[in-house]
Amino acid sequence: MNIIACVKQVPDTEAQIKVKADGSGIEDGQIKWVMNPYDEFGVEEALKLKEKNGGDVTIVSVGPARAMETIRTALAMGADKGIHISDPALDNADAFVTASALAAAIKGLPHDIIFCGQRAIDDDSGQVGAMLAELLGIPQLTLVTKLDFAGSSVKVIRPIEGAQLSIETSLPCVVTAQKGLNEPRYASLPGIMKAKKKPVDVKNAAALGIASDVKAKVAKVVPPPARAAGKIICGDDAAQKAAELARCLREEAKAI
Amino acid sequence: MGNSIVNTRDQRFVLYEQIGIDKLFTTDKYSGFSRDMVDMVLTEAEKFAVEMLLPAYDIADKQDPATFKDGKVHAPVCFQEPYRRYCEAGWIGPAVPVELGGQGLPMSVFAACLELFGAANYAFQMYPGLTLGAASMIATHGTPEQVQKYALKMFSGEWSGTMCLTEPGAGSDVGASRTSARKLPDGTYSITGTKCFISSGDHDLTRQIVHPVLARIEGDPPGTKGISIFIVPKYRVEADGSLGKANDVVASNIEHKMGIKGSATCTLNFGENGACTGELLGNEREGIKIMFQMMNEARFGTGMQGLDFASAAFEHAVQYAKERIQSKKIEDFTNPAAESVAIINHADIRRSLLWMKAHVEGMRAMNYFIAYCIDQEHCAATEEEKERAKGFVDLLTPICKAYCTDRGVEICSLGMDVFGGYGYCSEYPMEQYVRDVKIATIYEGTNYIQSLDFVGRKLGQNKGKNIMNLFGEITKIIQSAKSVEALSSYAVHLENAMNSTIALTMRLGQWAKSLDYIIPVMNARPLLMIVGDVVIGWKLFEAAIIAQEKLAALYARLGVNEAQGRALAKDNSEVAFYQGKLANARYFASNVLPTIDGRCACIGLTDKTPVEMAEESFSV
Ligand SMILES: Cc1cc2nc3c(=O)[nH]c(=O)nc-3n(C[C@H](O)[C@H](O)[C@H](O)COP(=O)(O)OP(=O)(O)OC[C@H]3O[C@@H](n4cnc5c(N)ncnc54)[C@H](O)[C@@H]3O)c2cc1C
Ligand SMILES: Cc1cc2nc3c(=O)[nH]c(=O)nc-3n(C[C@H](O)[C@H](O)[C@H](O)COP(=O)(O)OP(=O)(O)OC[C@H]3O[C@@H](n4cnc5c(N)ncnc54)[C@H](O)[C@@H]3O)c2cc1C
Repeated sequence: MNIIACVKQVPDTEAQIKVKADGSGIEDGQIKWVMNPYDEFGVEEALKLKEKNGGDVTIVSVGPARAMETIRTALAMGADKGIHISDPALDNADAFVTASALAAAIKGLPHDIIFCGQRAIDDDSGQVGAMLAELLGIPQLTLVTKLDFAGSSVKVIRPIEGAQLSIETSLPCVVTAQKGLNEPRYASLPGIMKAKKKPVDVKNAAALGIASDVKAKVAKVVPPPARAAGKIICGDDAAQKAAELARCLREEAKAI
Repeated sequence: MGNSIVNTRDQRFVLYEQIGIDKLFTTDKYSGFSRDMVDMVLTEAEKFAVEMLLPAYDIADKQDPATFKDGKVHAPVCFQEPYRRYCEAGWIGPAVPVELGGQGLPMSVFAACLELFGAANYAFQMYPGLTLGAASMIATHGTPEQVQKYALKMFSGEWSGTMCLTEPGAGSDVGASRTSARKLPDGTYSITGTKCFISSGDHDLTRQIVHPVLARIEGDPPGTKGISIFIVPKYRVEADGSLGKANDVVASNIEHKMGIKGSATCTLNFGENGACTGELLGNEREGIKIMFQMMNEARFGTGMQGLDFASAAFEHAVQYAKERIQSKKIEDFTNPAAESVAIINHADIRRSLLWMKAHVEGMRAMNYFIAYCIDQEHCAATEEEKERAKGFVDLLTPICKAYCTDRGVEICSLGMDVFGGYGYCSEYPMEQYVRDVKIATIYEGTNYIQSLDFVGRKLGQNKGKNIMNLFGEITKIIQSAKSVEALSSYAVHLENAMNSTIALTMRLGQWAKSLDYIIPVMNARPLLMIVGDVVIGWKLFEAAIIAQEKLAALYARLGVNEAQGRALAKDNSEVAFYQGKLANARYFASNVLPTIDGRCACIGLTDKTPVEMAEESFSV
């Protein structure tokens, strides 16, 4: 089985994000970077499929030089090889450019199933997986929490409000992973030692024949407004306090 | 920061910038490693510590401690899953050679991983930690069959291990052991006796537990020289390696303790029914010598425990001090309109935090340095370098154990003070830190026993060459610091402290030969702490010199002068980090090092009141 898992390097959820003074983006020099948590589910599912059915797992990532760490982490978890799409021209890639780059790299590879995270926790756009499937002209199964592989097709569960969908499709397809799909393994020490020797191809935009024609441009990045102090409603009379609460919610917070 | 237990930026500073472990990667032994790889190991260790071990820290203390029920010992249930995954990921013996199932990682890197695991959950870490120590001892001193039979399964975590020294009548005085061994016709030994306080002595994380047991073969002389060491498994091992019947090792109870409640501390009865057999490890009557390998590793591990808790307490205290709003700034005290501020604005809190920070970072640098010296013992090019490295390990191990645990207790206590009344209550981890860290001053040889070893053996070891090598290194740092403008006036305090210490150690020799021999015996603990402070001072200055260079480069790159650079700490975490290193050295030099002269003078007075006064006068 030829399995592909796409991963993105994102700031750690615990990292303190500082916006650049000119609003062009975030200060990225001093934060800790990790594998997008939803991508971890994808990598884990890819490894489980491989363990059960044989084959190999290729990791593909679009990102600057430091994204190599994330590829190595996936290799340390047990993936076999990597493709690192790295090009300064792609630094401001939007979801479309990223998906185009992934599609260009994956087109040339045998692929039965492609995993992506359902979204990346940095920009939360949630579009890359779907666009990738469209660009490759194959089915997409998004927000998957359970996956069963049956030879030439897969059957998945996707939760929707108050119910769940059971969807089946033929291969190849793109699956975007949602929390609950599995519990990602930790990279083992032997895995880390082996990861160094596994092959990673580095490709630039020219090699893939893609251009950075972004459809979405970042106009300005601004930090969210500082949260105002909370308000405590004092008093002994519950009814009076409830009335005051309702008034605050309506007139001050304009929530009701 | 981020993880609330260990500053991983400082870990990397010590490894890469202060020690320069990259030097190891150019040696044959460690040529397979690189900084990328080490970074990945550290990142994974942190992830594992924070995600798997930390959540069980409080649970294993309160709802789910180790228990003794129906004659069986149970480890905390919340340790089961982390233990399984810990073994799977290969964390038991990363520094163990590849042939034995490890990864051959440098000890200095493993020390950094251990700090993360210990700071996240020390009681948990004791199970694999003792297993590693016991397995390494078997790997070094066992026959090839014993290595195959026991050590390999222990390094993988399938079986666990302990160390069985203490008995009701033999605590500090290990030589008083009454556990006995009788040789059987098949060459094995029948073991009889009771050991107490045995950590991980029984539990259900693994089915098999392998006990290295100190015992005296019938007819052998009394004292330590008559003691041998035996491998005594909980279940007998069949020829094919599978587990046979129980080996008459029975846990009769576990202790109810102040802290580390997740760790099962057991009383073990060996051979109550005359059916406990063990294999000799090494030669007869070499038990103490062999056990010392494990004890030295365990002493380093216990010193790390002091650092682990100190680090976690410090990180929590800083965080809390930034959040807790209480009292106005001193300059606003008479201004009714002024608002209260976060307590990190108060001078006393800052003084406390910097005292903690300087000690934590100094101890981290010292402990990783010891681990690095262990690496050098393995890979140094010349015998001379090896001997030098080994000398540092020998000399600094008792300091690591006693200094880091005594200071660890003080740091946790001070950390609790920063939390005010909330620190005393169980919704914050501070009270657990205070309880959990305290045992470290007692077990693995009490801090007095460490100090006696330091003063009585280690100081004079190798004809005093080891300590002179240490003072040589410190002198180099003093000289460099004197040529750095930002540090020169402070370096004098390190110089004075070292000179007072050298003068005092010179007198030790004379005392030893006179009626004053009791002076170093009685003052071993303050003596060890004096040398410990000098060592910490050395490491803090070494770090500050590097920091000053890095700051100059940073300022140059940012195109600012010193004064402007100082204001950058708010927004630039690298600037802030390096400035913190300068602060450590300056604070320690101004507030700790000058006390050394007075402390040396106290011992120099050769007052013997404690030993001369009547026993009755202590309390009537
Ligand atoms: C939680 C816990 C876990 C433990 N785990 C293990 C384990 O896994 N394996 C194991 O073998 N042991 C273990 N121990 C035992 C521990 O190592 C001993 O408690 C320790 O060595 C001290 O021995 P003791 O308790 O008998 O104290 P004692 O030896 O009675 O000491 C009491 C005091 O007297 C002092 N003292 C003793 N002799 C001298 C002397 N000659 N000169 C001056 N002062 C002296 C000591 O420093 C101490 O302050 C553990 C203990 C605890 C509490
Ligand atoms: C078990 C227990 C019993 C208690 N019993 C009583 C009781 O019977 N009656 C009662 O009234 N209270 C009681 N208390 C409360 C106790 O007196 C307070 O906890 C204590 O006064 C500290 O206040 P705090 O906890 O709010 O800490 P904080 O005031 O928040 O102090 C936190 C830290 O900041 C420092 N700090 C605060 N302000 C300054 C400043 N201006 N300059 C420098 N440092 C500063 C403190 O020294 C401390 O280190 C009790 C508390 C406990 C835990």
